[in-house]
Amino acid sequence: MGRRLMAAAVAGLGLTVAACGSSSTAAPAAPITIGVSVSLTGDFSGDGKALVQGYDLWAADENAKGGLLGHQITMEYKDDASSTQQVVTNYENMITVDKVALVFGPFSSLLTIPASTVVSRYGYAFAEPAGGGPSVFNRGLTNIFFVQPAAVEDNLVSYAKYLLSLPVGQRPATAAYATQDDPFTQPQVDKAKTLLEAGGITTAYYHVYPAETTDFSPIALNVANSKADAVILGTQLPDALAFAQTFIQQHYNPKTIIETTGPDQGAQFSGPLGANTEGIMVPAGWTPAATAYGNAKFVSAFITKYGGAAADISADSAEAYSVGQVVDQAATKAGTIDNTKLIAALHSGTYQTVQGPMSFDSTGKPQGGVGVYIEQWQSGAAVFVYPATVAAAPPEYPKKNWQ
Amino acid sequence: MSPVARLNVLKVGGLLLVFAVALALPALAPDPATTNIAVFTMMYVGLATAWNIMGGYTGYISLGHAGFFGFGSYCLGLLLAHLGTAAGYAPFMLVPLAGLATAILAFAVGWFALRTRAATFVIVTIAFMFMLQLLAENLVGLTGGGGGLSFPVPPWSGDYFNTPYYYAMLVLALVGLGTSWLIRHSKFGLGLLAIRDDEDKALAVGVPTPAFKLTAFIVSAALVGMIGGVYGYYVTYIYPQFVVDPLIGISMVLMVFLGGLGTITGPVLGALILEPAQLWLAYNYGASRLYLVLYAAVFLVVILVLPRGIVPSASDFLARWRAKAAASAPAATRQ
Amino acid sequence: MTLVLEAAILGVLTGGVYALMASGLTLIFGVMRIINVGHGALVVLGAYLSFAVTRSIGIDPFLTLFITMPVMFLLGLVLQTVFIRPLKTDREALSVLVTYALALGIEGILGYIFTTNYVQLKGWYETTSFPVGSFRIAYVYVFGFVLCLAILGAMFFVLYRTTFGSSIRATMLNRTAAQLVGIDVDRVSAVAFGIGMATAAAGGVVFGITTAFNPGSHYDLISRLLTIIVLGGLGSMRGAIVAALIMLVSEDITSVVVSPVWASFVFFVILVVVLLVRPQGLYGVRVRDRL
Repeated sequence: MGRRLMAAAVAGLGLTVAACGSSSTAAPAAPITIGVSVSLTGDFSGDGKALVQGYDLWAADENAKGGLLGHQITMEYKDDASSTQQVVTNYENMITVDKVALVFGPFSSLLTIPASTVVSRYGYAFAEPAGGGPSVFNRGLTNIFFVQPAAVEDNLVSYAKYLLSLPVGQRPATAAYATQDDPFTQPQVDKAKTLLEAGGITTAYYHVYPAETTDFSPIALNVANSKADAVILGTQLPDALAFAQTFIQQHYNPKTIIETTGPDQGAQFSGPLGANTEGIMVPAGWTPAATAYGNAKFVSAFITKYGGAAADISADSAEAYSVGQVVDQAATKAGTIDNTKLIAALHSGTYQTVQGPMSFDSTGKPQGGVGVYIEQWQSGAAVFVYPATVAAAPPEYPKKNWQ
Repeated sequence: MSPVARLNVLKVGGLLLVFAVALALPALAPDPATTNIAVFTMMYVGLATAWNIMGGYTGYISLGHAGFFGFGSYCLGLLLAHLGTAAGYAPFMLVPLAGLATAILAFAVGWFALRTRAATFVIVTIAFMFMLQLLAENLVGLTGGGGGLSFPVPPWSGDYFNTPYYYAMLVLALVGLGTSWLIRHSKFGLGLLAIRDDEDKALAVGVPTPAFKLTAFIVSAALVGMIGGVYGYYVTYIYPQFVVDPLIGISMVLMVFLGGLGTITGPVLGALILEPAQLWLAYNYGASRLYLVLYAAVFLVVILVLPRGIVPSASDFLARWRAKAAASAPAATRQ
Repeated sequence: MTLVLEAAILGVLTGGVYALMASGLTLIFGVMRIINVGHGALVVLGAYLSFAVTRSIGIDPFLTLFITMPVMFLLGLVLQTVFIRPLKTDREALSVLVTYALALGIEGILGYIFTTNYVQLKGWYETTSFPVGSFRIAYVYVFGFVLCLAILGAMFFVLYRTTFGSSIRATMLNRTAAQLVGIDVDRVSAVAFGIGMATAAAGGVVFGITTAFNPGSHYDLISRLLTIIVLGGLGSMRGAIVAALIMLVSEDITSVVVSPVWASFVFFVILVVVLLVRPQGLYGVRVRDRL
């Protein structure tokens, strides 16, 4: 009996060794193509380019390691011109004509939602970096995975917590809110408003403006006029800049400002503002100095490939890179790049990315309370300042005056 | 058979062939990528034909038809949401209601806009389109605002999904073509052409120009609204800035101009050429960012080389060729 | 109350920029009877030209106008001769399509050269301001406004005090009659288009200093410019200026007093009301079968 057990154990061990040995000397698997529809022209083109940089870097890193489960990767990009019609056509074509093995997501909830319906028809897994508005998850689709540390509406929760943690004398007494009517910016601002009002911070101004607004000065004037201590803005990059510039012109110095996007776009934000980025906050799952899984390597590889400084890297690139990381880990876990198995694998377990650990619930929403942190510009670099567990520097409060 | 009769037989035969191919397309080319392009192409065939009823026959160039397109889309979406209609074939039955609603809107818009003429009319229609977009964005309680509006998603498989939409678009395109043909061969159509040629003279001669213009405008808009409804259902989710999109409005105009303003087959030809070309260009060259430049170049070449459009230029060419042949024939037989 | 006043002043200052851009657009229409839907793209082109000049020789954006305005003027002569003069029949409708194609082409080329990242022109004055009563006015708006006044003044001078200006006005009134009188309408058209482009260059500088832009920014611009010239009356420079001021002031006041959401809507309501009473716009001329 003991000897048979021993023999079985040896045989098992031998088989395992053989398997390990054979996988390292097996012939490389066939190269695969991963298809992505990106906004290279049109409204979202600035972000689209950053996504491409992130995806490309990930593919290069994967290929250097031997490929995704041995498959060398070619990335295929199609321009969706920031249009619904084109994004639907692109995924339709990439899946059924070009027969790509995998697909990654486009930019923004606006494009992710129509694309997700097409992708789900063919049973493909849809790991996406930029579609986190509530409507992404409530349509009954099970193949979507939003690769960011939190669902969009929770982005400002850390910030609300931070403000309410300040001693009563220091805490802002009033807050002004202005947000685009956009499925990304508005849910966050509204949730922050609810939390802050419950915590006793009076709302001095609250307005929603159309996403197609071109002239933000009157709104910014109104915010400045409210003389609120805290300013919470639901913006994309152009309005983030416009608000800041009007505040500077009006010599309006609130104690704290946070913008939902813009300050996380690296050089596109710091270029026009120069030293006046000082003290502006943004919710961020990622910062160049973060110590999350593989981030240091990501940042240095990015600079090697694309030049520039760490502070110029846009968060979109890190988000795209995370998508690749998640898919890589899921494929390793499932042992295959078959989409059905990937979808099953992704619904459980935790995945390590440059944005920190994350896991997905049954609708694809990121969960686990990792949360999104606060990033703040200090002396020309954007660093995590809250919570203390990830902070590289203490938060600057009140914000220094404009120069 | 006389040459005229022979030409007519050829024309009718050609049309029947095109119709047969269109009907059988999903069977001939069932892969989803092709049917997807077919859906959008047939959509533009319908849009171009509908626009031509106003722009081609009356000469009033509306650049705001995208507003009606988006309005029809929102109407259908809201109807489906309120009635709780299940996804599947039932929503297609509600499309005519979206058309009716768009017709009512067109009545109000047209009554106002048609008091202006020529270039002012063009820009007024643009203004109305932007107003509609604004309303869609700002009436958040009704339309969902910037967050968009969701359509129910039918549970059809990937291979079959596009086919019902293609047929819906085909039906609407045929309705549009039928209407266009009927108008063209009626006194109403004659009145519209008179308005195009010289509106004040037409009025002086007794054509009820305000009523005729408004009717053409309403018919055109209702068709566009219905097509917009099917479009919204096809892409399953709409946003104000994507469905009230000036690019859709200007594409349908370009297609009519390419094919031949005021003709019946012209808009069809224009759509059949431009839409697949645009999708193909965007797909293959979009990533290199030269897509826009190429598209613009195609545009410009078409307009400068064939300012009247393909169909009129082709029939001119044919007529001249026949005249030359007829002129030289007697000389040949005279000996 | 001061907020309303502040909004009104801001409206006048920014209205000046739109007035400048709209005047170019309405001049082009008046002379050639074409609707240049590419005007927004031309403004963005002007902004990018200034951007390129400041990037290479580092001068102040306003000073780049000495380079960009002549360049855009010459470019306008070329564009008009190559693309617009050939349009014989159906001028208005075809012109929309041609100028739209030009806009797309310009957007594509700009995107190719400069990428689609947002950029902004920088000057020492862009965030400085001076106090007026209880609020502050940014220098950049004042400089922009002064520039617009200067260029508009120059345009009016040319139009009303020079012989060539008379040819332009004659062509605007009645093209055929002008030809009969001996005016070279083709040359006048080309020059008018050049002037339109030069004003777009100037508008581009002010636009580029106050707003972050990228090649796709022209869509929002053109929609506003078109509605302005319709309210003012197609072909009327005076109308373009008045309408631009009305638009910006009403929008800014509504935004500040009521809500940003309805700001542009107010302008459209004004447009509708005016057109109901005067379909030809505020200063437009109702001609028998053309407007």
